[in-house]
Amino acid sequence: MNTVDTHMTQPTAASASQRGFWTRIVLVTLACAVAYATPGLLPNLFYVHIANLTLVSGIFALSLWIIYCVGQLSLGHAAFAGLGAYASALLSLRLGVPPFVSLLIAGIGTATVAALLGAVILRLRGVYFVLVTFLFGQMFTLMVLNWQSLTNGANGLISIPPITILGLSFGPRPVFFYFAFVVFLLVLLFTWALSRSTFGRAFDSIEQNIDLAESCGIDTSKYQIIAFTIGSGIAGVGGAMIAHYIRYISPDTFTFHNSVAYITMLVVGGRSLFWGAVVGAAFLTPLPEFLRDFAGLQHIIYGAIMILVLRLLPGGLISLPATLRRIGGGK
Amino acid sequence: MDLLTLLVQSGVNGLVIGTMYALMAIGFTLVFGIMRVVNFAHGEFYMIGSFVAFITYAQWHLPFAMTLLITIAVVGIAGALIEWLLIRPLRADELTGMIATLGISVVLQNSALMYFGASPRPMPDVVSGLVRFGPVVFSWSRIFVIVAAALVIGAFWLFMQKSRTGRAMRAVAQDREAALIQGIDVERIFPFAFGMSVALAAVAGALMAPVFSVSPFVGITPMLKAFIVVILGGLGSIPGAVLGGLLLGMIESFGATLFGALVADMLQLALVIAILLVRPTGLMGRKEA
Repeated sequence: MNTVDTHMTQPTAASASQRGFWTRIVLVTLACAVAYATPGLLPNLFYVHIANLTLVSGIFALSLWIIYCVGQLSLGHAAFAGLGAYASALLSLRLGVPPFVSLLIAGIGTATVAALLGAVILRLRGVYFVLVTFLFGQMFTLMVLNWQSLTNGANGLISIPPITILGLSFGPRPVFFYFAFVVFLLVLLFTWALSRSTFGRAFDSIEQNIDLAESCGIDTSKYQIIAFTIGSGIAGVGGAMIAHYIRYISPDTFTFHNSVAYITMLVVGGRSLFWGAVVGAAFLTPLPEFLRDFAGLQHIIYGAIMILVLRLLPGGLISLPATLRRIGGGK
Repeated sequence: MDLLTLLVQSGVNGLVIGTMYALMAIGFTLVFGIMRVVNFAHGEFYMIGSFVAFITYAQWHLPFAMTLLITIAVVGIAGALIEWLLIRPLRADELTGMIATLGISVVLQNSALMYFGASPRPMPDVVSGLVRFGPVVFSWSRIFVIVAAALVIGAFWLFMQKSRTGRAMRAVAQDREAALIQGIDVERIFPFAFGMSVALAAVAGALMAPVFSVSPFVGITPMLKAFIVVILGGLGSIPGAVLGGLLLGMIESFGATLFGALVADMLQLALVIAILLVRPTGLMGRKEA
């Protein structure tokens, strides 16, 4: 890079990012205002429940996106969510740790497991990494089933206490909504900040061409382990949130099919940008409920919509505006 | 029951599920090797195969050989059509192709659920009776499954080795561009390979229908097992799929007899992860270019 070029671009880039910063503050404020009103506006508790699940799905999809950023696809993401869920539930049930503290411990614990596992398995690439994470997910399910004395096996854990902060219980659905929203927003802003930082640029270069990134002196395995640790840790927190919200978890709560669902959110939403994950989660989580009127047919329509989105919008739903513009311009 | 009987019974059971896993894994690995698509709908074709067998054999009372032929034809043609209509446009990207097969799996499974209902149906045995070898007793139905599956695998092997199309398929798996240069019509190979792959899964479903029962959800476990077998044997390797299938079946059967089913499952996964870490390409896989 020559110096003149940097001088030319830096001020404009700075002012653009300044503008971007204020735009984002406004967007976040708007989102908060909308979120504040949401539970009151939804017609009944069931819709609030769907909104809560959508927020948590958004957390899962974003955390998976962080791992996807370094060119690795985890098919065991639900296992990390489950790990966090069981850790937090057991801490609060057996040791009486307050649920909010247990949530944080679960997140850190899950991240630690991911870091240890990642150090071993991240040397596998592409489809082999996908396969080994799939196996990890299967191992997790079997372990939970098998370790009866700790996990209560297939029966699962019941009456997990709700999250309580300073006497305020986040057990009821409309109240949990605010908790889920705050965590979701934090994860979203964190992901955004991450994707703009040096880390994000390193991630990006690894995703685009890992060999080139390596030869440019980027320690790819270090960044991959960091991304895997962060992503899985966030998934652990998300899982713990589910545990304290539904207040019941079993080996069926987080299975291979959940892992697949998170990937589907990424692809259908659009995986080139982080908010594609959010769009995917917001589109796919409530979709089966909207299709409830077509009793029996709902899953078939769900599958058909998935294929249609892939077929018509290969870049995911976030590429819809660009595609429409192209069609409009082609006239 | 004495130890010898127990071991021999476990061996026969291991062979039954092992050949079934092999049949599933061959098709799965074939599609991955040739098309670079991880087919998540593979188990649904197993399920459809078992339903076709149920209808033609248990309801229409056709001879079982006829049942198998109909299963192969119906599922093979359906598979080729699905490849042509749905997977072809989405195959360019590995991940998109994978999600597309996932969508297909959801549609197929729920269509079966809507049409047949969720309750499992028992299917009558194709052959009945017991056979005695000294102190140990086998049921003919199990031996029938093993022999029939072995014959199908043998026929498939011959096809891949000797026939023009089979050799073209292997060429495409090795190097798509080089195959194109040699004048192989790759676009015609793909639907054919996909149809054949899912027809093999359907044969497995038809053969296993009397052993397990028939329901819209029977495809899930064989699909997951095929996944594990293919990792064990090496992605894209057909001998690896056969070897891996038999090995997994044996480990599962003996493990379950000796330590219980859950421990056996853990054991096989631990083994596969260990193999992957030491030898990422599986037992018989080749390093990818």
